[in-house]
Amino acid sequence: MCGIAGIVRADPGEAVGEAALLRMARSIRHRGPDGFGLLLDPGAGLVSTRLSIVDLEHGWQPLIGDEAGSVLVYNGEVYNHPELRERLRAQGVRFRTRSDTEVVHALLEREGLSGLDRLNGQFALAWWQPRRRRLTLIRDRFGVRPLSYSHRDDGGIVFGSEAKALFASGEVRAAVDLAGLDQVFALWAPQAPRTAFAGVSQLEPGGLLVWERGEIVERRRWWRAGPGQPAAEPGFEGLEPVLRDSVSLRLRADVPVGAYLSGGLDSSLISALAQVEKEGELRTFSVAFDDPAYDERAEQELVAGALGTRHHVVEAGAAEIAAAFPDVIRHAETPLVRTAPVPLYLLAREVHAHDLKVVVTGEGADELFWGYDLFKEVAIRDRHRGDPERAMELLAELYPHLGPSGARRGPGWARFLLEAGAGDDPLASHRTRIDSTAWVRSFYRDDVAAGLSVEGALAPLRDELPDGFAGWEPLERAAWLEVTTLLEPYLLAAQGDRVAMAHAVEGRYPFLDHRVYGRSVALSEEEKLTATSDKVALRRLAEELLPASISARRKQPYRAPEVVPFFTPGAPGWVEEALAPAALEAVGIWEPRRVEGLLRRCRSGRATGVREGMALVGILSTQLWHEAFVAASGDHPAETAAPAVRIDRTVDQSMSEVS
Amino acid sequence: MSAAADGGDDVRSEMRAFIEDNFLYLDPDAELADDQELLAAGIVDSLGFVEIVEEVEARYAVGVKDVEITEENFGSVDAIARYVERKRAGS
Repeated sequence: MCGIAGIVRADPGEAVGEAALLRMARSIRHRGPDGFGLLLDPGAGLVSTRLSIVDLEHGWQPLIGDEAGSVLVYNGEVYNHPELRERLRAQGVRFRTRSDTEVVHALLEREGLSGLDRLNGQFALAWWQPRRRRLTLIRDRFGVRPLSYSHRDDGGIVFGSEAKALFASGEVRAAVDLAGLDQVFALWAPQAPRTAFAGVSQLEPGGLLVWERGEIVERRRWWRAGPGQPAAEPGFEGLEPVLRDSVSLRLRADVPVGAYLSGGLDSSLISALAQVEKEGELRTFSVAFDDPAYDERAEQELVAGALGTRHHVVEAGAAEIAAAFPDVIRHAETPLVRTAPVPLYLLAREVHAHDLKVVVTGEGADELFWGYDLFKEVAIRDRHRGDPERAMELLAELYPHLGPSGARRGPGWARFLLEAGAGDDPLASHRTRIDSTAWVRSFYRDDVAAGLSVEGALAPLRDELPDGFAGWEPLERAAWLEVTTLLEPYLLAAQGDRVAMAHAVEGRYPFLDHRVYGRSVALSEEEKLTATSDKVALRRLAEELLPASISARRKQPYRAPEVVPFFTPGAPGWVEEALAPAALEAVGIWEPRRVEGLLRRCRSGRATGVREGMALVGILSTQLWHEAFVAASGDHPAETAAPAVRIDRTVDQSMSEVS
Repeated sequence: MSAAADGGDDVRSEMRAFIEDNFLYLDPDAELADDQELLAAGIVDSLGFVEIVEEVEARYAVGVKDVEITEENFGSVDAIARYVERKRAGS
């Protein structure tokens, strides 16, 4: 796992300065603290920062291939690299390292983009073919690893694992993209290719982009999520061996691999499967909260005890959440509406402190196997047409973590959930979340709001809906929307890669193996969701491996306190400073008079609802995000350590590796 | 004016002020009409509705049963005043 970055110009005569590459390297060293490398070509420069996981001694990048000096910088893991290596070796390819990077490079050189289908892994890469002046950027199927780029007016392209590498290049200035920012306040995150920064794009999950001599000549998805396809061996029987194999592949590394353990079904199941593979050597890591409303430590300890793992716990109290919040925003590079990424940032810090670099987690199961309450909402809405009484009973049981019982929530509760979205609206399943989140937009200044609309924020999503989407089953539509709008844009980014890589920890996601995904969409509805159970197929597997209280446990949504950390006695002084009228005026997005009303509620302890929590986190994070990037000085320090690899091909066009 | 009507007016002004302070701060210049429907107008969401119920319970020392949590009883300032009056009258 690593960070990558680079600058490629349309004109090979226009040099890329080494100083710019050193600044870019420095900006993403957190992703690769074990060392870095760089390559200078005429009109091009590439950077890699390395977190050594496979072939610790070799495997440094940038890596030069066989074909006319082509170069790869690559961030990620391809788990089936030993099998691919054997296949390529049989075709006559000779390898110099044991690294997966070299396998991916050889595969691309030999088979081109059609070879991508063979890869099982999570990666973002840049493949530079200098003879053709062609740069190809590629992201893995689900978008586990990030990749930002900016296509400049002069035709050049600047790219990086994180946008901060683009800003460090000195060629891209951070500015607000209001349309990208506005998507946070409808869908929780900017949706690729948009980011919250003007002029900065992100490659879509499963996307690729080919740039040649200043022009983007190809841009498409080489993979995308789709509806259920008949599988050769449908149902649970087809799922289990694939999931076991996925876990096994994701334990491949030359360093120890641990596991995140939330105490819920998904991470417990992954930990159980990993513990079998590791023959009892697994270490597990959990977040515990001092507020019992969020805490799952009893379940975590139960699972760790039953599996016999070496268990570690990190406490996420109000003070820890508030203290880490600004750094989380700096890593996430976008405003947020939730504090939930913060405890995962603290957890990765704990993993790093225990000298682990890799963890497997249960991410993805709720999207693939319909674990979220959102899916139950869809099913209840459908049921309400035929059996309203039973539907109302089920409705009252939804979202128990919100505090008061369903009955206490009164008539607005049922109406909100049952009447959400027109029946023929393809986004109907997500209307309640969109509407709740969009309430935050009420705090915009009038001049900001004037150019934006919720429908405007959703328009790119509507344009991207697959052919025939309206004809899919409602639950299949909801699942596709969840994978598309939430999984990569938010969960795998702000709550995944960004907070883990902040501490050089690589998350691996066995549920997000494309073969597991294929099995999940081939399952029948009843194998995923019934009136009384969710993730049915996973629970069946878990029954064999986990205590019954875990395999049958109702999902507790993973959340963190939103208002309390910032308004509890002893909260950091920067909170009120960032939200003061003058600070809000300076940023120019939020209306101070409206924000003042919210702050009054926060200070009095009354702001306990979902909407107000999202509003506070959204406004505060926007202020911090603006300060960290847009209002920042533009001075970026350069890396001062010596590179592990420095290749300069600008002098005589021949490869001269100097270290 | 009867004592009951006096009490109703107090409830009206107190609950109007409560709702304005807590739910209308986004639009400080707006005037809340006593017959305005709180849910339909989007002034409160379902959790805001719970807050109003809890405020009525705490402020007026009345026990609200789950089945009483309806728009008829809590859907507007007028509705709340009528409900509190009825509860105080012991019905």
